Amino acid sequence: MKMSTTKRLERLHDRYANGDLSRRTFLSLTAVAAASAGLSMPWMSQALAAVEQVRFDGWGGTVQEAIDKYAFQPYTAKTKIKVVQGTFGDENEIITKIKTAKPGDFQIVHSSGVNYYIKYVNAGMNSEINEANIPNMANVLQPMIEPFRKLTPKLSAVPYDYGTTGIAYNTKVISPEEAKEKGAGLLLDKKYAGKVGGYADMTTRVWYAALATGQDPNNIKDMETIWAKVRETRDLAKKFWSSGAELMDLLSKGEIVVTDAWSGRVAALQDQGHPIGYLDPAGSYAWMEDMLILKGSPMAECEELINFMLDPATSIAVAEGQSYPPSLDPTKVKLTEKIEKLPAFDKTGSMKALTFADPVYWATNEDAWTKQWDRIAKGA
Amino acid sequence: MKVGRPNKEGRWAWRLTGFVTLCVYIFMFAPIVATVILSFNASMFGGFPMTGFSLQWYGKLMANEAVLAAFRTSLWIALVTAVVTTAIGVVTSFALVRFEFPGKQTLSTLVILPALVPETILGVGLLVLIKAVDQPRTMLLLVLGHILLAVPYVVLITQARMVGIRRVYEEAALSLGASRFSSFREITLPLLIPAVVAGALLAFTISFDNTSASLFWRPAGVETMPTQILSMLKISISPEINALGTVMILVTVGIPLIGGLILQSLTRLKRRDEPKEEAR
Amino acid sequence: MKNRWTLYDPRLASMLIAPVLLLLIFFLVLPIAVMAVYTFFTFVTAGVETSALTAANWHEFLTDSYYHGFLLKTLRVGAMTALLCGVLGYFPAYFIWATSFKHKWLLLLLLIVPFWISFTIRTFSWINILGEQGVINVALIRMGIISEPLPMLYTEGAVIMGLLHFLLPYMILNVYVSLESIDRTLIAAARSMGCTSAQAFREVTLPLSLPGLAAGLLLCFVLAAGSYVTPQLLGSGRDALFGNLIYDTIMSELNWPMGATLSIVLFVVLGFFAAIYTRYMGMSQIVKGLGG
Repeated sequence: MKMSTTKRLERLHDRYANGDLSRRTFLSLTAVAAASAGLSMPWMSQALAAVEQVRFDGWGGTVQEAIDKYAFQPYTAKTKIKVVQGTFGDENEIITKIKTAKPGDFQIVHSSGVNYYIKYVNAGMNSEINEANIPNMANVLQPMIEPFRKLTPKLSAVPYDYGTTGIAYNTKVISPEEAKEKGAGLLLDKKYAGKVGGYADMTTRVWYAALATGQDPNNIKDMETIWAKVRETRDLAKKFWSSGAELMDLLSKGEIVVTDAWSGRVAALQDQGHPIGYLDPAGSYAWMEDMLILKGSPMAECEELINFMLDPATSIAVAEGQSYPPSLDPTKVKLTEKIEKLPAFDKTGSMKALTFADPVYWATNEDAWTKQWDRIAKGA
Repeated sequence: MKVGRPNKEGRWAWRLTGFVTLCVYIFMFAPIVATVILSFNASMFGGFPMTGFSLQWYGKLMANEAVLAAFRTSLWIALVTAVVTTAIGVVTSFALVRFEFPGKQTLSTLVILPALVPETILGVGLLVLIKAVDQPRTMLLLVLGHILLAVPYVVLITQARMVGIRRVYEEAALSLGASRFSSFREITLPLLIPAVVAGALLAFTISFDNTSASLFWRPAGVETMPTQILSMLKISISPEINALGTVMILVTVGIPLIGGLILQSLTRLKRRDEPKEEAR
Repeated sequence: MKNRWTLYDPRLASMLIAPVLLLLIFFLVLPIAVMAVYTFFTFVTAGVETSALTAANWHEFLTDSYYHGFLLKTLRVGAMTALLCGVLGYFPAYFIWATSFKHKWLLLLLLIVPFWISFTIRTFSWINILGEQGVINVALIRMGIISEPLPMLYTEGAVIMGLLHFLLPYMILNVYVSLESIDRTLIAAARSMGCTSAQAFREVTLPLSLPGLAAGLLLCFVLAAGSYVTPQLLGSGRDALFGNLIYDTIMSELNWPMGATLSIVLFVVLGFFAAIYTRYMGMSQIVKGLGG
């Protein structure tokens, strides 16, 4: 008995020697594989680079490509400060992320105007910009700045561009005359059942339902009819899109022939030669976009970047690239012909022709309406 | 009716079984094959019919910073998860198999719970907890979360093997004067190697593949490979995603296969009297 | 031993289990406990809540038929998926077990390979099959059987198909493991006593493999009912499951107390089914199935 146990142990030792050898081979093989893949510790590189970069989150697709090409790349070339970029399809998504992140993880957001601005302010995520560091703000349209200043006298964001959510239609299927005549009603036209699209966003859906029921989107009296219309569009819709790229994809492939759409994305499609028409019905949903600096960001670097972006040459190049008019005052800065032709462009600089969402009104209804919209989107 | 020779009824039942099996295998692999084929499509729209053979989507993929970053992140998380989970799993199953202690039954149930509770619930729970104690989401949290998800599998695999290793070996080593630790290191661990490798591989793939929980846990601005794919899918199905899928398949199938081969040669080297182990 | 410790001392055991215990407590038990407390918090506005205790979330859940509808639907989809998995999974498991095919390991390996392929990829690959430009539609149009693509994607059928695809390997492995543990001499004995092969299957094989089938059914049911990525990718808004409600409540409405409430509901409901199962079957079969 004793003998056999000892013998067994000897054998075990042999095995172990073998096992150890192969384990080492295995480990070194793994190491070689990892090294050849050219890996570096992601955490380490991030920590080292933290001082020399600014974080930006935007809407992706053609819009962000334009900003990157005409603003960020020249900026990086000039200052050596890298702009690290992220994208989102829905601004609520990024707000959720910011809420559960450390201050400073997110820095600049390409935000959509005052009715989102109020959300950042309410959540205490706004910073205070030193406007002296952004001399180019002198050229920015005052009517665009004012609504922000009404919410916070010390700004946390600078308006950058604006656009509308109008109606886009496939001109092979729908004539411009028909589109003009029906306007927002196209989204409810049974003729196009299964070929209708729309933005999967509460504000847009409620806004267009308000237009369809003849109500003022900033002072809705009868919510029941609104939700009924929202359901009606839902039942006609093939799909509600959730990003600008998806909108362009659906329209260009002809999967949908009519949808509410972002003016700049439609202009980009038209540039590519797609047969897509665009119109702003009466009361079309206008919005502006701003560069918002979040609390906890490196203020000086962020301000410098925004000042660079607002430089007329940069701003005009970006505007032409992303097909949204810039926030520059056309009475102060000479804009190009291409910009003047962009949808939603307001040559007076008064912004009176455009209907924006009333931030306070929408903010008070936001929670309840989002909840209801979520339910309707799920078939309720 | 003779024993062992199938009757007519049995033959038909057997054929049906074989047919259904074939269908199930086709069902399992057809979409994957379609994805791999489409990744070579020249057209910029991700669908049939194919318009030509092209490698351009792989080229585009290699130039896509976001994808590469997500790939590196996932790889690191998976490596760390695999190493740590295996260590934890081995000690745990050692304790569960060799020791008697109060609450052992409860612990062995608790350990497999992460595999049974839907990830949505685990995801929300951890998120609520760190919000309640006002902590930010960090990479560490994501890794620990992945470890939690992988621990049940590693424990089960190593436990099953540990049961098969007779404790006489360890006791003999101890009686010959080996310390507790070196008897474990020199006797138990080498015998456990196949299960350790299998468990580590599984932990690696579980982490590399995790989607649902990662969506809740990942820190701001961090994308892992699956969440990156999801956000790309939100935009549109492009051949680039198919190419990415193909690369992912190569990685996640290739690594265990290679691991399995190493494992096999290892066991062959060591001895023949041990039962053959499945790669899982 | 140099010290007074016994060979398999409980004190050593407690050191060995410390890491896993800490992990489980901080990442499993505590989160669920905190979540349970959170269900009584007050929702103020998106992303803001106070710790003032209220029963409003539970009241809303209990009185709003919207939630009940989705809960029932989720259970229905979970049950359908599990049953389909059971039916479709039993055949391959039986085949692999009973076949005299020389390369049986290959069949088993192929069964395991899907576990290694990213779940996201396996799910979205269905878009290549079911989509308007997917294999089926393009093939049918080419053959002239249909002129307009069939809408298959973004339906409940697509969601169940995706879940089936994801869960079938679990089922097959579970059944296979329980078949493997059957003593084959029992079947030979039954045959020698005059049973037809069908009778032998009915009287011996099937009953003995039921534990594996039951474990597989439970596993598939729980995993299907808890999923939310599959409905998000393959379903339309209407095909959302309870998991999607939770995700949207937390991620888009930013209503964390309600999200916590819904999570606890799902946890309790699925836990209830698991408890019934373990009451009659015990945990061991699941352990075997998961361990592969």
